[in-house]
Amino acid sequence: MTIGVIVYATRLGLLLAPVDALQGNVFRIFFYHVPTSMLSLLFPYVNFGASLCYLFWRRRDPLKALNADAVAISSAEVTVVYASICLWTGMLWGRVEWGLWWTWDARLTSMLLLWLLYVSYLLLRRLSATGQTHTLAAILSVFAAIDVPIVYMSIQWWRTQHPAPVFGGGPDSGLDKSMYPAFVWNVVGWAMWGIFLLGFRYAIERRRQASEQDAALKAIEASLEMAK
Amino acid sequence: MKLSWLFGHSMEARHLLYAYLSVWAIQGGYFVRLALEWKRSSKDASQPLSSTDADQDL
Repeated sequence: MTIGVIVYATRLGLLLAPVDALQGNVFRIFFYHVPTSMLSLLFPYVNFGASLCYLFWRRRDPLKALNADAVAISSAEVTVVYASICLWTGMLWGRVEWGLWWTWDARLTSMLLLWLLYVSYLLLRRLSATGQTHTLAAILSVFAAIDVPIVYMSIQWWRTQHPAPVFGGGPDSGLDKSMYPAFVWNVVGWAMWGIFLLGFRYAIERRRQASEQDAALKAIEASLEMAK
Repeated sequence: MKLSWLFGHSMEARHLLYAYLSVWAIQGGYFVRLALEWKRSSKDASQPLSSTDADQDL
């Protein structure tokens, strides 16, 4: 069903939405770029909430803490996927509209920083060998979440290269009514896909945790047998 | 409306096509990675521990 919604939304964006009067057909990147950018700013909050739950439960209720940790790593991966798409489609669009692949504009820089923060979160999870990895990663994710409102507000606080927000960006902002269906269906489709990926990644992490616990239990049983 | 303009040689057309294709490629690539990881984890879970022990003994 999710794939069906995305295909329908893509068809709307490519075929049925009218050509933009100023930018022409390249404006259709908007229908992928903006929904994925919005979602790349929402999934970090899932990561933030799950990390706070992990920090709260890690001594009180370790089983709940493991659950929260699985949500945290899943949402961090989905954030990196959506933020990568946001940056890449933005570069492709910017090359046509501004003649530049990249500029150190406030929005672009803060978004790159967000991407780097979540990539470092995942690298920390993968490479750190201390017993405190999960706690350190949860603390990092709390700090990383601070960048999300900065990314969101950057185009209002600093007027640089990136255009003003499409929604609520002043009297000249907004989207033509005829473009709303393509935009809304893309938001819905990519949100559904993101939630599906998050759930799938969560299931993998829970399975990995269960097999790790199982192996640890068997090791304890084996050492007890040897002690006898 | 036909899609022929999407396959034009102008920079606008190429970048629009690359943007749409790369979104599908990134999302599809991540999904395939997850599917492989899921398959591997189910194989690991079904493997009895005793066989690993036997390998180690050898």
